[in-house]
Amino acid sequence: MTTNPRKGTDPVPAEESDQLTIRPLGAGQEVGRSCIMLEFKGKKIMLDCGIHPGLSGMDALPFIDLIEADEVDLLLVSHFHLDHSGALPWFLTKTSFKGRVFMTHATKAIYRWLVSDYIKVSNISTEQMLYTESDLENSMDRIETINFHEERDVRGVKFWAYNAGHVLGAAMFMIEIAGVKILYTGDFSRQEDRHLMAAEIPTVHPDVLITESTYGTHIHEKREERESRFTGLVSDIVGRGGRCLIPVFALGRAQELLLILDEYWSLHPELQDIPIYYASSLAKKCMAVYQTYVNAMNDRIRRQIAINNPFVFRHISNLKVYANKGIDHFEDIGPCVIMASPGMMQSGLSRELFESWCTDPKNGVIIAGYCVEGTLAKTILSEPDEITTMSGQKLPLRMSVDYISFSAHTDYQQTSEFINILKPPHVVLVHGEQNEMSRLRAALEREHRGAILVHTPRNTQPLALCFRGDTTAKVMGSLAVDPPKEGQELQGILVKRNFNYHILAPADLNKYTELVQSEVTQRQSLQYAGSVPLLRHVLMQLAGHIDFLSETRWRLYSCIELTIESSTIVLEWRAGPVADMYADALVGAALSAAALAAPAATHPPLAPKLDRMHFKECVIEMFQDMFGEDSVPKMFKGDKLYVTVDDKRADIDLQSMEVRCPEEPSLASCVRSALQHLHAALSPVRPPPGAPPPADS
Amino acid sequence: MTSIIKLHCLSGAGEETPPCYVLQIDEFKFLLDCGWDEKFDMVFIKELKRHVNSIDAVLISHSDPLHLGALPYAVGKLGLSCPIYATLPVYKMGQMFMYDLYQAHKNVSEFDLFTLDDVDMAFDRIVQLKYNQSIEMKGKGLGLRITPLPAGHSLGGTIWRISAPGEEDIVYAPDFNHKKERHLNGCDIERLMRPSLMLLGAMNADYVQQRRRLRDEKLMTTILTTLRGGGCVLVCTDTAGRVLELAHMLDQLWRNKDSGLVAYSLLLLSNVSYNVVEFAKSQIEWMSDKLTRAFEGARSNPFALRHVQLCHSAGDVTRTPGPKVVLASFPDLEAGFARDLFLQWAPHSHNSIVLTARTSPGTLARDLIDNGGDRVIELVVRRRVKLEGAELEEFLQQQRMNVTNTVREEVAGISSDSDSEDELEMCVVTGRHDIPVRLETRLGGCFKSNKRHHAIYPFHEERTRADDYGEIIKPEDYRLAEIVDAEGEIRDVPPTAPIKQEQDEEMSEVPSKCVSSVRQVHVKAHVEYIELEGRCDGESLLRVVSQTKPWAVVGLRASEAALHTLKKHCESEGIEKVFLPSVGETVDATTESHIYQVKLTDGLMRGLVWRQAGDAELAWLSAVVAPRTHARESDAAPEEGGGAVSLEAGAGRPRAAAFVNTVRLHELRAALARAGLQPDLGAGTLTCCSGTLAVRRMENGQVSLEGVLSEEYYKVRELLYEQFAIV
Repeated sequence: MTTNPRKGTDPVPAEESDQLTIRPLGAGQEVGRSCIMLEFKGKKIMLDCGIHPGLSGMDALPFIDLIEADEVDLLLVSHFHLDHSGALPWFLTKTSFKGRVFMTHATKAIYRWLVSDYIKVSNISTEQMLYTESDLENSMDRIETINFHEERDVRGVKFWAYNAGHVLGAAMFMIEIAGVKILYTGDFSRQEDRHLMAAEIPTVHPDVLITESTYGTHIHEKREERESRFTGLVSDIVGRGGRCLIPVFALGRAQELLLILDEYWSLHPELQDIPIYYASSLAKKCMAVYQTYVNAMNDRIRRQIAINNPFVFRHISNLKVYANKGIDHFEDIGPCVIMASPGMMQSGLSRELFESWCTDPKNGVIIAGYCVEGTLAKTILSEPDEITTMSGQKLPLRMSVDYISFSAHTDYQQTSEFINILKPPHVVLVHGEQNEMSRLRAALEREHRGAILVHTPRNTQPLALCFRGDTTAKVMGSLAVDPPKEGQELQGILVKRNFNYHILAPADLNKYTELVQSEVTQRQSLQYAGSVPLLRHVLMQLAGHIDFLSETRWRLYSCIELTIESSTIVLEWRAGPVADMYADALVGAALSAAALAAPAATHPPLAPKLDRMHFKECVIEMFQDMFGEDSVPKMFKGDKLYVTVDDKRADIDLQSMEVRCPEEPSLASCVRSALQHLHAALSPVRPPPGAPPPADS
Repeated sequence: MTSIIKLHCLSGAGEETPPCYVLQIDEFKFLLDCGWDEKFDMVFIKELKRHVNSIDAVLISHSDPLHLGALPYAVGKLGLSCPIYATLPVYKMGQMFMYDLYQAHKNVSEFDLFTLDDVDMAFDRIVQLKYNQSIEMKGKGLGLRITPLPAGHSLGGTIWRISAPGEEDIVYAPDFNHKKERHLNGCDIERLMRPSLMLLGAMNADYVQQRRRLRDEKLMTTILTTLRGGGCVLVCTDTAGRVLELAHMLDQLWRNKDSGLVAYSLLLLSNVSYNVVEFAKSQIEWMSDKLTRAFEGARSNPFALRHVQLCHSAGDVTRTPGPKVVLASFPDLEAGFARDLFLQWAPHSHNSIVLTARTSPGTLARDLIDNGGDRVIELVVRRRVKLEGAELEEFLQQQRMNVTNTVREEVAGISSDSDSEDELEMCVVTGRHDIPVRLETRLGGCFKSNKRHHAIYPFHEERTRADDYGEIIKPEDYRLAEIVDAEGEIRDVPPTAPIKQEQDEEMSEVPSKCVSSVRQVHVKAHVEYIELEGRCDGESLLRVVSQTKPWAVVGLRASEAALHTLKKHCESEGIEKVFLPSVGETVDATTESHIYQVKLTDGLMRGLVWRQAGDAELAWLSAVVAPRTHARESDAAPEEGGGAVSLEAGAGRPRAAAFVNTVRLHELRAALARAGLQPDLGAGTLTCCSGTLAVRRMENGQVSLEGVLSEEYYKVRELLYEQFAIV
């Protein structure tokens, strides 16, 4: 089925089911805890299920208590970052959610270790913990994997993934419900980097684009400039004898930085005495994943991997980190470069190192990714004179603070280009601070004047869009032999599956679907001790006509066979609403016949046809009731009759059942339908359609 | 609407030749697979040549030469220029297959049917797809949609689904496996409901398969007894398909400490074994759920094979001391290292030859399967020998001439780009063809070691272990002599034979020629056929037909007996159209389907009463075709608005009610039990109320309700009706 979604600007939807609701439960005018609910045609889809990196415990969750978790059909996770996947173990184990979860293979593999690491490093009390390692372990089996471009169908919701470029395995999901397409970008980047490909541009045009707006109207500097600024900064810091701290997310952008640093070091032999440490056991664990899912990376890596593995670094050594216990055999003696997680220095090693180094002006910190409000990394970007340590102590901030964005998020240029190509009528902005978002909204509206509607729903605020589309169906099989003509009647079974409609003749049902049409026959027996002629009389009065197949087998209403055996009557028929009703009537008649005393003489059988005289009497009586005593003549001969109402005369022919009244057509039709109904009521009942033709006796 | 659907069988019909068919849907022509047999049949090529120019798209289902062998020839020599569709593993592994096949032949003969450039050219045309990714055809094929579905059998193996306009659904399933294997998921072909045409590889229709465990045990016993008896096991398998299952299985076996196999060597021998394993490592997402999950859990790549030594020449095998198991290509024993090793090992009774697949009739492996070992077989032995004496002189002379010619040409300004044979060979090594042979992988993770290394000369101290009697003697070290001895017994092989090891590396430089001779080989080695093809067995194949209920079936690539079994089964299932074409025949499966599209108005939709039946909803529709409103039609979307008429609610005509769904008696029983009617189920009859009421299933699928007039009668009837969607 295809629908033509038109721009849904109608405030009051004609039908409830035409309304698409987009409701951010997280990441609405904020960054972090991405969680967006889609609702359309009774299907509920959750996009991402993340936690807020700046908050902890239950506060970090999206507003999931506003929905019924068990009603969610489908949950799609765009990539492994905690602000997109961090609440998933909780959602899977602590709520009644029973739908299906999908993510890409690489995302699933890394997600497992990332969340497990998060459980270890988050230094909060166990009561506040959202989930434990075993919860995570148990929920892994519920997560299904989907390959890029692979089309899946869950209860009529069709969806597939595109490469998003943001981190390894990051996906943009295209979701199609009843012909309406929604593209959720997750975090994406249209810039190819050292190991990832640029986000793909879907070949189909979505009706709604739900896109991130992290960087608002910023425009990123060129990759080359950015990289040389970064390497320059690093070599400056180590050159002045300082220690260089780069807080990073353990996975994702860190791999890109490692590739850059490793290359820079190998090109500059004078730096090779200065060690680069990558303090993350997690990254070491996940390197196998990076080495395996190369098919999700760009061509350069795929070509190179056949020769040697670019993820085998020559100048970077790994520092073993024990949870909350500092670092093993790391002698803090001279200049060095350390990449440490977490990226926003909320806690953990990067925070520890920062606190011990921040008082020395020789040292430097380079913030390489996006920072969320409320984290230390965001705080120091405003260059305060002093900072508060984890223990509450104040320390002067003397080290140099620099910010180079390596986070692979789209910028204004990329977003705008993306929208230009896709031309979605609706754009919904999520995953961005309020100010950035409204700036982006204004800029987009300015650029695409009138062509698109930009929405920026706040958390929990539902956005309703209306998609009115025609429902179309395919007529198939014997019904479709003749092309449709105006006014032609069309009857058949309408089969609805996954928003697809087909119209079929009942006989074609098992030809075109796996549905089978079956038949039910019924055989009902009842006690009857009375006389056979009496039964015949009663039944004839009821049914009007009996086919006598033999002395003891009669057919009534052309569809029910009645067999008389010694003191039992057996009724046999093919089940169906009408035949069932006839059968019930016969059973009633037979029972009443049994109750009657056997009459002395046999009754003459009644004529099994319409009594014309009786019919005429009834006609006169009816019209007198309808139009008054004088409207019809009291007596008449033959089959001609007339009715006079307000001096208008309608001629009636009872033989052909025709009514004529040239002056007043409405009177004619009124009289005609009254006459027809009366005739139908008085004439013997007809067999139901589809009854088997009378068998030859 | 009538779609013309024709299938022309170029090969692989009525007999077990490789599959290659031309499927025509209206104007559009698909080439389904492009296999070439082990002997490179030129008659087939001639036939293919006639069609090459009219092909619009090629669909490849598996990566072995059986399914894509003729592709390089078709693209390189016949000029096939349409897009080729295959899944990503078929692309990668298919390339490995073709490199190996080329190299295997090049090693022993002047192979010139296609070059590595042809292989690359052919694979450059491949559009790589993922499973369930739908692709719309363009141009003539507008409205056609192809979707690859997982087939099992080999990594990336595909069942193709081709949807044509008018709800035509064609399924092409030449080889598939419904069972889960170690590294692959089974296919779910049963989910394809009611395809209009099913092109089915019927080779196994009458095939009875042993249980997998029995076969695995048989393999293991053969390996163990042979190794313990001091012999070697040659497992004949393919390059990059089934070998993965075998390698993974054997590696697991070796890992098992109780198996007692650790002392022996396990070798994987093909020209591209390193690359095959590397590619397998990066395609975990295409493998079985179990492996993917294990990878997510343990992060250990299932194809980081611990016990398998990767070899690229027969020399690597001879250099490995002691009894060993070698997985070598090709399974047909017509070419490749498997044949070389067969010639070496067959005459010795302590060795074992394990055949894993029924290859085409006429191949050596098939001959051994059908007629058994322990007899004298006459074989053509082809090999490449170094030029010596006069011949070498002559060759060098020729070379010199060539060089001067080229120089002259260059002087004359003619580009020498037309790659000479030598250049091409060099490319193999330099990696333009993706087969850099690299044996040593750096161990120890991805990071630099923390320890500082000072610049010193490398020094390895050989530690000699000694016991009371002096240096410990390992018997294996001396076993090598035995094997050399064994080689010596092959009288015909001149002492130059072992030089073949070097030829691999120096082929381009060492002037050589190819000789062939006929030799009597007495097969004394234990020949065992253990079927590890990973195809579904006869019973399941027929069950697939019963479950999917196709409108029409074409039985392909099978012996007469198998086709007969299929035909009989289809007839018993009530499938009227069963085609069993033979090579060169064309099947006309054109169906006449009537279909048109209508719009359903809101008023009509509101009046419908829906009933649930399975995953679908049904309603009786009674409508009238509404008069067209031309004004609106024009501004609506023209591409679909043109043909659609809309329906309005219309008066109902009397009609018979339709009972949709089939009743399952045990479900009904459960419903009756819930209502407290104490039902009793036995022999297709459900009785209740002490036998006064009975629900029966008739042979024709009808259901009958019998009983005496009572209150329960109506209760049972109501519950029975609930089982149906009555519209």
